[in-house]
Amino acid sequence: MKVASNAARLVRQVLTGEVWPPLADRHAYRVGPDGQPFLLPGMGGVTLDVHCGDPATGYASDHLEPGASIRHRDPGANMALQFLTCVGNQVRVVSGPAAGAAGHVIGQHAYVLADFADAAAAELTTGDAVTVLAVGQGLALPGHPQVVVKNCDPGLLAAMPGGTRPDGRLEVHVAARVPAEAIGAGAGMASEYANTDLMGAYTGLGPDLSLGLEGLRIGDLVALADADHRYGRGYRPGYLTIGVISTGQCMMFGHGPGPSTLLSGPSSAFCLVDDPDANLARWLHQQPAQSAPDPAVIP
Amino acid sequence: MTTAGSGLRAVPPRLVTVNLLGAVEHPVLDGSPYRVDRNGCPYVPAGDGGIVLGLELGDSAFALDADHAAPGACLVHPDPAARQALAAYACVGNEVRVRTGEAVGTRGVVLGKRGEEGRVIAGFAAADLARMRPGDEVGVRARGQGWRPPGLPPEVAVMNLDPGILSLLPIGLPAAGTETAAVVVGVRVTVPSRLAGNGIGRPAAAWDLDLQLPPPGPDGAGDVALGDLVAVNDLDVRYNMGYRRGWVTVGIVVHGASPLPGHGPGITPLLTGPAAALRTHADPAGHVGLTAAALKLQ
Repeated sequence: MKVASNAARLVRQVLTGEVWPPLADRHAYRVGPDGQPFLLPGMGGVTLDVHCGDPATGYASDHLEPGASIRHRDPGANMALQFLTCVGNQVRVVSGPAAGAAGHVIGQHAYVLADFADAAAAELTTGDAVTVLAVGQGLALPGHPQVVVKNCDPGLLAAMPGGTRPDGRLEVHVAARVPAEAIGAGAGMASEYANTDLMGAYTGLGPDLSLGLEGLRIGDLVALADADHRYGRGYRPGYLTIGVISTGQCMMFGHGPGPSTLLSGPSSAFCLVDDPDANLARWLHQQPAQSAPDPAVIP
Repeated sequence: MTTAGSGLRAVPPRLVTVNLLGAVEHPVLDGSPYRVDRNGCPYVPAGDGGIVLGLELGDSAFALDADHAAPGACLVHPDPAARQALAAYACVGNEVRVRTGEAVGTRGVVLGKRGEEGRVIAGFAAADLARMRPGDEVGVRARGQGWRPPGLPPEVAVMNLDPGILSLLPIGLPAAGTETAAVVVGVRVTVPSRLAGNGIGRPAAAWDLDLQLPPPGPDGAGDVALGDLVAVNDLDVRYNMGYRRGWVTVGIVVHGASPLPGHGPGITPLLTGPAAALRTHADPAGHVGLTAAALKLQ
């Protein structure tokens, strides 16, 4: 994105975490939109075979978290890990058979979600330690003072198309536009934590549940209408939020594929360009060198 | 051992009443006194849980500069699972009685519930509430989950409602034996589902749903009062709260507004069903919801 920023003034911090297991309780079942009980995998652990660019829905899954799901054991350190980690940050495995493998953060979901190549992910499991090079919180665009940036690695911002237009607006490419009716669980929460579940993407269920969002892909950049995520997540007519789809298929009602927040401000500050290729896969998977770790920081 | 036979007549299940124990909550803050409002300004949240004095049914949800203020005392339980059960099983209209402290023996009524950790909002006469303090034990006579009033259209679900207060609310059931007719409910206002905030995607038996309502205009237009019934279009709350086109949910306003983005006056859902079977009539000027007088709390 061709836009002036304070990227050179941001600090980088070395954070640690570990791959966290899926969590269940002895009652096993959750309940779907029509009252259907279900038991489906998706959250926690290492979820294989789903990457940025792949469909977000259509899986036998609930709260699908692509790749590795990461937390820190200490509750306070975990909140720091969840708040400070940004989409596009580099993640390196430091223990277990996958040690040395590099991936990148695709979002937050009360876990840090990190995508790895299948060969590395196949060797990765619960308890494996990872190092996250956290950079991005505090990122600001001096030419766009009404736009708040968060959860965004400066390398990701630089790799995205768009930027400052001659009319002063910020051009952002998005793969989908999301109506305000779709905002599900996550409303009212901090926008640096977890993500915003989108309803209306229940593939295979009733038409009265659909908001036309069944075509979303993991990694898609999306525009949330009438959403103000500058200081949390709320409904605000005339505002716009840009997020990246970091989680997929949900069966639980009121939940669904979720964007992690990247940009938010008055809609008049943005110029949206509909672009089916607006997906993390285009910028992170094919250009790993752009977000390669500094060898001086991570050995 | 009994065997279900074709000759058995369908009998509605009998309701179970459970005595629950709550304790009056003390407000809780994290290490920082500040929260950040929807405009990015820090504020100190006052009235978010515990005992709030001077706020009653019928007052505007925007009457106080407070955060989620509820009209009465919030009840909790020190064990997290018991606290969830307290919130899930208590129903609007349940009788409560103070068991310890200066107000021992005082009667109150459940006015609503709040989600996440779980809170039961209990209303008392103002003089009784003024004698209470956090930590007082309060017994809750929980009754209502699983109830279906006779005549309720089969597509409509009812929840969180004590059968004893149905007659105090503007809910018109079709006469028994006419199950194809609709239930008709008077509400203060009907709002679109896009105003649904915190609580969406959560279970309506144990969470309230915050509505992101703008403050009322200078003439009071758009105002809602504590105890009002409010309808939300395109919202189904049978199995978690979520978007379903053509559906409608009716809830009772249980707490006031909040400066937090994504938050606002909260409703405890009472009825949910397809709009054809659950009809609502909005009367912004004349609506009367649940009142302290009807509950004999004055």
